[in-house]
Amino acid sequence: MNGPAPLMALRGVGKSFPGVRALDGVDLEVFAGEVHVILGQNGAGKSTLIRILGGACRPDEGHVEADGRRVAFASPAMAARMGVAVIHQELTAVPHLDLARNIFLGREAAFRNRLGLLDLGAMRAAARRALDAVGLRADVRTEAAALDVAGQQLLEIAKALSQDSRVLVMDEPTASLSVPEAERLFAIIRRLRGEGHGIVYISHRMPEVKALGDRITVMRDGRRVALLRRGEAGADALVAMMVGRAVALSRPPAQTPGAVLLEAEGLSAPGIADASIRLRAGEVVGLAGLVGSGRTELLRALFGAERGAGAVRLGGRPLPADPVRAAAAGLGLVPEDRKRQGLALGRPVRDNLLSASFRRLARRGVAWPARLEREARSLVSRLSIRTAGTGVRVGTLSGGNQQKCVFGRWLSAEARILLLDEPTRGVDVAAKAEIHATIRARAGSGCAVLLVSSELPELIHLCDRAYVLRDGRIVGELAGAALTEAAVLRLAVAQEAQAHAHG
Amino acid sequence: MNALPARIGALLLLALALSLATEGFATATNLLNVLRQASLLFLVASGLTLVIIGGGLDLSVAANLTLSACTAALAFKATGSVAAAVATALGCGLAVGLLNGLLVAVVRVPAFLATYGTLWIASGAAYWLMAGRVVYGFPPALRGLGTGFVLGVPTPVWIMLAVAVAGGAFLFLSAAGREVFFTGANEEAARLSGIPVRRRRILVYGLSGLMCGVAALVYLGRVNAAEAGLGDPLLLPAVAAVLIGGTSLFGGAGGLAGTLVGALILTTVTNGLNLLDVGAAWHPFVTGTIILAALGADALLARRGA
Amino acid sequence: MPMAERALPAPFRRAPGAAVALVVLVAIFAASSGGRFLSVGNLVSLSSQVALLLLVALPMTFVVLTEGLDLSVGALMGLAGVVAATAMLGGWGVPGALLAALGTGLVLGAVNGALIAWGGMPAFVVTLGTMGLAEGLALAVTDGEPVSGFGDAPRLAWQAMIGPVPLPVAVAAALYALLHLLLYRTPFGAHVVAVGGNREALRLAGIRGRAVHAAVYVLSASCAALAAFLLVGRTNAAHPTVALGVEFDAIVAVVLGGTSFERGQGWLFGTVLGAAAIGVLRNGLNVLAVDPSLQVVAVGLLAILALVAGNRRGGRART
Repeated sequence: MNGPAPLMALRGVGKSFPGVRALDGVDLEVFAGEVHVILGQNGAGKSTLIRILGGACRPDEGHVEADGRRVAFASPAMAARMGVAVIHQELTAVPHLDLARNIFLGREAAFRNRLGLLDLGAMRAAARRALDAVGLRADVRTEAAALDVAGQQLLEIAKALSQDSRVLVMDEPTASLSVPEAERLFAIIRRLRGEGHGIVYISHRMPEVKALGDRITVMRDGRRVALLRRGEAGADALVAMMVGRAVALSRPPAQTPGAVLLEAEGLSAPGIADASIRLRAGEVVGLAGLVGSGRTELLRALFGAERGAGAVRLGGRPLPADPVRAAAAGLGLVPEDRKRQGLALGRPVRDNLLSASFRRLARRGVAWPARLEREARSLVSRLSIRTAGTGVRVGTLSGGNQQKCVFGRWLSAEARILLLDEPTRGVDVAAKAEIHATIRARAGSGCAVLLVSSELPELIHLCDRAYVLRDGRIVGELAGAALTEAAVLRLAVAQEAQAHAHG
Repeated sequence: MNALPARIGALLLLALALSLATEGFATATNLLNVLRQASLLFLVASGLTLVIIGGGLDLSVAANLTLSACTAALAFKATGSVAAAVATALGCGLAVGLLNGLLVAVVRVPAFLATYGTLWIASGAAYWLMAGRVVYGFPPALRGLGTGFVLGVPTPVWIMLAVAVAGGAFLFLSAAGREVFFTGANEEAARLSGIPVRRRRILVYGLSGLMCGVAALVYLGRVNAAEAGLGDPLLLPAVAAVLIGGTSLFGGAGGLAGTLVGALILTTVTNGLNLLDVGAAWHPFVTGTIILAALGADALLARRGA
Repeated sequence: MPMAERALPAPFRRAPGAAVALVVLVAIFAASSGGRFLSVGNLVSLSSQVALLLLVALPMTFVVLTEGLDLSVGALMGLAGVVAATAMLGGWGVPGALLAALGTGLVLGAVNGALIAWGGMPAFVVTLGTMGLAEGLALAVTDGEPVSGFGDAPRLAWQAMIGPVPLPVAVAAALYALLHLLLYRTPFGAHVVAVGGNREALRLAGIRGRAVHAAVYVLSASCAALAAFLLVGRTNAAHPTVALGVEFDAIVAVVLGGTSFERGQGWLFGTVLGAAAIGVLRNGLNVLAVDPSLQVVAVGLLAILALVAGNRRGGRART
């Protein structure tokens, strides 16, 4: 491309993590005055791309350029000084500092007066200008904790702009915004584009992509599979590119489902509203939706880890919201964040496999070590967990084997209803296949499985039926031949879409 | 991780050095005396160990010992019944422990704050109850718990061994004990495994309180007197015994055998200081230094490992 | 936040525990002491008592803002007092003694800070260790006896009036002004809040959070040493264990004052209210001749009440 050098560019960037090729020879250019959308399913390499752009990690191959010169970012702070700011999904405000101090955190020196004290007047005036630039009207003296998510996002953007960032990287910025909030954000993004900023915009939502994207990079399996200009491809074509191969993964023949095991009616909890679902013995049911659509919240509410309104019934009898009762009644949850919620990393494989069944395995309160060991060994071999022994700390195992331990826990507890939240995230291919086989086998033996997965092929491949969530509500149910990636994506992204599209 | 043999080695080295450096250390009387002193420390530290393994903290153990001993002494003086004294000590210890458990598990006050609060409440209550008096003179049935011998070994040492065995059985053989470890290692993972986290929390604080009650009886038996503030010098050594016993302050790892060795090491150190004519006034200084040195060593090792 | 709450004066909004306790306690003691509580003499002694507590509680606020606590200050005050007294006996003069006390605080504070910030060790056990070290050292060098006979300078300082204001109160006021500026008008203050509130934000901003984290313990210990020097003047003798337990009153003052152990939420002026509430409680119980040992029980119960009430409010806000 001739003309001005891009503000920022990646040239042939590759990055590997143990067992995963996260990025493979990716090129990306961001020019002044454009919104460059990056599109891709989970696992396509977007988050690694963001980390490299923002200085949080370094590429194994290739390099980063700013203004046509090679640079190497040693830290996010350095990337910020070079004019690149990442607006993270998890926001980074200090909750009990006021907005002015949050904006200038680490850069207060500019406002020191002769006594070495902060010139609060000047700092607040500068903060006011920064907030005005993003249309955030809150008083600069309020604490960041008083802002809602949308406000905190604008605060992050104001912070980035105040350090003269010319490239803004936004990671699914609308994931937790309402429609009018998102509209306001789009207006700001357009204005920034007009002022010559380059914006890297990561999103799955087709209407946003259409409304904002000047150019679109489609990623799949760590590679760039397409670079398109605005309007070069319609939503369906983009979905097809994200999905890739039209390989119909063979789905096992649908079985006649058994009795209803678990039933939720009008379940509401933080992040979900009025959700009703039914799980029958012997079926694998998917729960699809974008990140932030309420999938995790629904699983947690079913398990009783989150209190809410509405009814959950197990075999027709009400189930109180309490994980202890849920586990005792035969529910099992494989949580999303394996390291924080699933495993005690410092404890041995054995304890992690048996944490839900110590009481079941005990005889009159005595949990004989030999008996625990026998059970743990049998689980290790049933799930082919690769470990030097059951006494090894679970934290030393690979991701896939760690995940199998969380699975094994519920096999040992003889759970009949499995709630699985991204069970194959960060898991290598072989372990993934094994986990898939286990899921089908459990269903085959009469369990009901509710599966959350951001990987659509996985969902389609494993599930007999799927609910699609959008903004905390169930917006559709697909089964049999109607359960296709495109159909799920359409429901999941098509939101109050039309509202954005002509914005 | 399992450095118990190393800790036992350190204890033996320490004992060897003291046998060579002093005349009085390696005598049967002195060694039995060390064991007898260690038993009181171990009893206080044993409950603390359980709490810390479960991911909590109990700073109130020494004050709880004080209050339990004082109330038991007063109960004995009021009724003349040893059974009443025993029931009061155990009941008072358990009650303070359960209060801690409720504050931490149900009200969700940070553990260090809740138990530091009960420390001062129990300590103040003891001063108020005793009003400067020293209550002394207990019957042989009670004295025997502190000064008696069974098969040539001091009774409190038997009690120490019994608590170590029972506590170890609880931790390593009972379902609840395994769940305490898991809860201490990752509370959220425990909750999502269907472990009754609150009940386990309350259980360990209750046990910790109960052990303070047992320790109070041993104390009364040995010293034959109760006064306010009697347990104060035991808080630091109890924390130190747990720490050098190898129980992780972050929860989820450790055991009573380590605390037993830790209590023996600390008692041996103070015994050695006495034999070397270093005044008792130096004991807190030495204990504090041991704690800081152990922490520094742990921090360095963690760094090296990382 | 509902309108009804917004209409409340700041102390009741931001430090409800301290504000309510203060109003209730003053009313109770004023009504039940037959005028003795509100007498000028008693108010002067009350203000000096609160001032002394503030010298420890104000810097403790910084520590709690970083989600930590410092159990060593009470023991350190004993040690620093002994060091100062010994220095005066050794002919170092008052400035030399003050420096010696401050130096003691600096060293112990640095040990705390290093082990907590760089060592990653829990604050309670580190400061418990330094507590033992300081208490033991003070006891060992004095054999538990007070150190005295160093002239009248400390006593005169304790009793000095600056205009109508007792010197300890003036010192506490000066420290408040200084720490207020430090917390609210310097980069350091913002970074302290961020250590407790969001360390990731500090990292992204390229700030050395560990140095800030360690510094609050140095601040806490140095102020405790300063308080120790004044305290020596009260009886004109340095008692090695005189201040044990002060840290408890200080931590309760901080918590009553609306500073939370989580996420860097706090209010420096709230600590003043909290310290005043505790001072009033102890002083009033003294006036009513309630056993001193029950005072600490009362402080503990006050803290638990405040925490339970605070927890309730927080609990409702979440659901």
